Formats: sequence, structure tokens, C-alpha cells
Amino acid sequence: MLLRRIYQFLIIYCAGILLLFLLKYGLQLSDYVIPSPIELWQTGCAEFVRYFKDVADTLRVAVIGQIISVIFAFIVGIAGRKATWVGSIVKVAAYNVQAYPIVALAPIIFILLGDGFIARLLIASMICYFPILLSVIGIMSEPVVDIEHFYRCTGRLRWQLEVKIRAFENLNKLTTVISGSATLAMAGTIVAEFIAANAGIGYSIRIALYQSDLARILSALFVIGITLSVYQGLLEWAGALIKKGWET
Amino acid sequence: MKCFKKPTCRKTVMSGIILTWLFSIVVADAVNAGEKLNYRLKWLFNASVVGDLYADVHHIFTDHGLDVQVKAGGPERDAIRELELGHAQFGVASADQVIRAMSKGAPVIVIAQLFQINALQWIYRDDQPPIKRLSDLKGRTIGITYGGNDETIMRTLLAKGGINQKEITLFSVRYDYTPFFQRKADIWPVYRNTQGVFLSAKLAKEDETLRFLDPHDFGVRFVANSVVTSEQMIAKHPQTVIKFKQALLQGWREALNPANQKKTLNTLKQFDKDTSETILTQQLAITRTLIQPSPDIKIGTIDTAAWKETEQIMQAQGLIKKPVNVEKALRNL
Repeated sequence: MLLRRIYQFLIIYCAGILLLFLLKYGLQLSDYVIPSPIELWQTGCAEFVRYFKDVADTLRVAVIGQIISVIFAFIVGIAGRKATWVGSIVKVAAYNVQAYPIVALAPIIFILLGDGFIARLLIASMICYFPILLSVIGIMSEPVVDIEHFYRCTGRLRWQLEVKIRAFENLNKLTTVISGSATLAMAGTIVAEFIAANAGIGYSIRIALYQSDLARILSALFVIGITLSVYQGLLEWAGALIKKGWET
Repeated sequence: MKCFKKPTCRKTVMSGIILTWLFSIVVADAVNAGEKLNYRLKWLFNASVVGDLYADVHHIFTDHGLDVQVKAGGPERDAIRELELGHAQFGVASADQVIRAMSKGAPVIVIAQLFQINALQWIYRDDQPPIKRLSDLKGRTIGITYGGNDETIMRTLLAKGGINQKEITLFSVRYDYTPFFQRKADIWPVYRNTQGVFLSAKLAKEDETLRFLDPHDFGVRFVANSVVTSEQMIAKHPQTVIKFKQALLQGWREALNPANQKKTLNTLKQFDKDTSETILTQQLAITRTLIQPSPDIKIGTIDTAAWKETEQIMQAQGLIKKPVNVEKALRNL
């Protein structure tokens, strides 16, 4: 699972780079527009360790942000699963928060919270919680009739049991959503760092952009991609382990 | 045909078609470029590009037989890249961009230098001790944009003043001025003719007055916005380049002529709707002094010595690996 994620990423990254080189040599573009393979290799080697540390810093924020958003999405999703007035208002509130584009909210967040850890964490959580919420609401509001019917008839269906049944029956979906949301958490953190933070890979990409250094940007993208693939692979593996544990 | 029935073969063929299509879009863009001239600015529409806007709005380009589309720039835009890709035929770039591009083999040519004095300066409150000598920077918290040309200029000032980095505190600048307002940073980089004006007005409401630190006063000449085109454009369409330069500089001369002030402000207001007329008037007055510091300097003059100094600064800071001989890219057409 983990290896598959890594080689899939390598295939996509190499295809992208190959396309860039095709354009570079096809259109005879200078190294300023698209770096040469040698420059890309040299920059990658020179910057790998620094970028790896930056990505680790970003990933740390993204993981915490994802955990917070998963917890939050489950709380809101479970509260909003019933077709009651409270459930409906919880859903509307959650949808409305997401309606504001993060680039519009980010400046306010940075002014209020500064450009440190908390602002990055909040933005990462805000970006990745919504897809999880949608899935949780979808899963939790859909009864598993065959199983729930028995408990309902015998009067033993408490809300905790209802949530457990629905989560277990949709564990594959939940694992996929949580694993997929890792990308969003990472993207959210990078966006936050790019806008205003003074640490992390987004900040390094912003500096490379100021210096029109595409070789550095491509190197950063490689490190981000490989790290994210490993993290997603680990999440999927953990999901498979949990499922196995529940089944036995 | 037999091969096409196999799913793997179909995928390969489809991938090939998509790649060819993407490739043809880029090539077609480059080929079609000759019909209409695109002029990519360095930044958004504001007082710093007033001459460019004036030439467009008052049909000066059209009078010279040119069909020019003036396009706003921004942090994600790079005029030199667009020249090479054929998305633009003319553009505005700062000297550091030109020198970086030359160091990587980009065929870029400078045809006019718009700002004779770099608009990039630093503000500080006048309740702070004045900065009369570079050594007065010691002990202050200085805002810089890491990777930006203000970092390069400030590091040059510090080196020139013999100031060790331990003697000052560098503060990472972002898009908003809150750290300066909150006095987390003592000195903050601004564009003198735009941000410098509205920040002065804003702080004046709080009974605060600003001073400016101009690197030019300390002998640091780092060239700012200049008009660029490609070697190919000069080789294939020299008359178009000459006509473009003439029209553009005429636009700048007319825009900065005090006799045309009302007309110029009306032009600017069409594009910069959020800024008051009072502020725009002040911005225009300062822009005038940066574009034409004295009547004997012609608008658009390329200051070769300043360009060489900019190259030396960049080399000294390791921003380019070897000399590019920037004078080769400067053309007084």
C-alpha cells in the first residue's frame, strides 16, 4: 500500500517533469523559464535536506490540523445527522463557514492570530474539515436498516450504538475520506504559509517564487509529494488495521 | 486498428493526443503573438504605471499604429517568462529580474528604464532617532521580504555600513502593515510613491509622522522598473519596438507633465478606484520625482552605471554565480 503510493507519485511527478522538458526543448526555452535537467538535479540535491525539514514542519501542522478537523467533523456530523431543527441548523452553519474563500479569511486570521503556528493550524483545519464533514453527515444520516431494525424493535438502539453501526458499515469510505483529506490539510497549511507565515515549505516556495527559481519550486514539490504519499499510505494502512481489528 | 481495440494502446494514443494538444496551445500562442502586442506590467494598476495607462487610454499607441493591450502584473506574473513564451511582446521587469534571467540564458533586452530612482524605501516613525548615517540602523528591527529585492538592498546597506547582522533584528515582512503599526518592527519597506503616501496619510490621522530611509541617499543604486522585450522581437520587428518605445515614453511625458495633471488623474481614477484624489495627487507628484529627478534627465534614460552596480550587488550577495555583463542587454534604440 505504502510502496504503491510512492511509486504512483513518482510516475506522476516524472511524467510532469518530462512534459516540462518536452516544452523546454521543443520551444527552445531558456533555463529561466524551465530549468535544465542538470540544474534541477543540482538544486534538488542541494536543497533536499532543508526542504525536507520545511516539509516536516508543514506536515506537523497539517497532521494536527487534520486530527482537529476530523474530531470537529465527527462532532458536527453526528450532531447534524438527524433531520431535526438542531441538526439542520448545524448543517447550515457548517456549510456557511465553508462558503467563505479561505484567501479572504486568511488575512483576518493572520491579523488576529499573528503569523505563527495557531494561524497555520486553523487554516489547515478549515480547508480539510469540510469534505470530511460532508462524508460523515452522508454516512451518519443513512440508516443501516438490516442491523438497526433489530435493535430499534428491541428498544436497545442508543445513539452511540447507531453511530458505531454506521461507522463500521462504512469504514472503507471513512478511511478513504480521511486519507484524502490529508492532501487538503497539507494544501491548507502550504497556502497559509505562502500567504503569511515565516516557516514551512509554503514560505520557502514563496521565497523561491520571489527569486523566479523554478528549479527550487520543482524540488519543493517533489519533497512535498513524496512526504504526502508516505503519510497517505500510512493512513490507509492504519485504516486497514483498524478494520481488521473490528472484524475480529 | 487492431492495436486501437486494446485498452492499453487506446490509453497511449489518447495520452499522445492530449500532449500534442497541450504542446500546440503553447506553440499557437507564440505564433499568434505577432498580431496583437501584449504589454505585461510588473504590478497592479496604480500610480507607478500611470504613463503606461495614459498611453493606452489616450490612444498614443494607436496613433503610432500599434494595437497594444496593457495587462496588469502581480506577484505571480513574470514579464520575462511571458516574453519567451510569446504571451507578451513587451513587459516591465526590475533589474534583478533581468539579471537573473540573463544568468539563465533568457534572451531579454532592456529598451527603457522607467524609474531613475528606485521607489523602494523604508519608513520609520519620526519619534525614533533619525537615520542620518548607516550606523544609525544598529539596534533597530528592520522589516525585509525574504527573497525580495528589498532584502538585497538592505543587505547591501548593512554591508556598506559595516553592520553585522547580530547588531540588528530582521523582521519577515508580509502583505499587511500590522507589525509596523504595532511597533513590532521599527523600519518597514514600502514603495515611496504609492504605499509611502497612503501610510503617511493613515498615520497622520493618529498624529504620527513618518520619515523615509532612501538607499539612494547612501549611494546604493539598485535599478527598478524597466521596459523589456525579447532579442527575437528586436531582430524581427525593429520598427515595432522603436514605435512602441516612442509611444510609451510619450505617454509617460504627457502623464507627468503638470499641465496635464487633471487628465492624468482622471486616467488613474479609471483604474485605481479605491484611492482618493488627494492621495492620487500626492502619489503622482512623488512618481514624477522618481521617473524624472531633474529636467536634464530624459524620461526612459538607461543608467548603465546603475545597472552595472546592480549586477555587482547581486554577484556580491551570491544571487548570480558569475557576471552576466548586463550592459549587453541595454539598448538605447
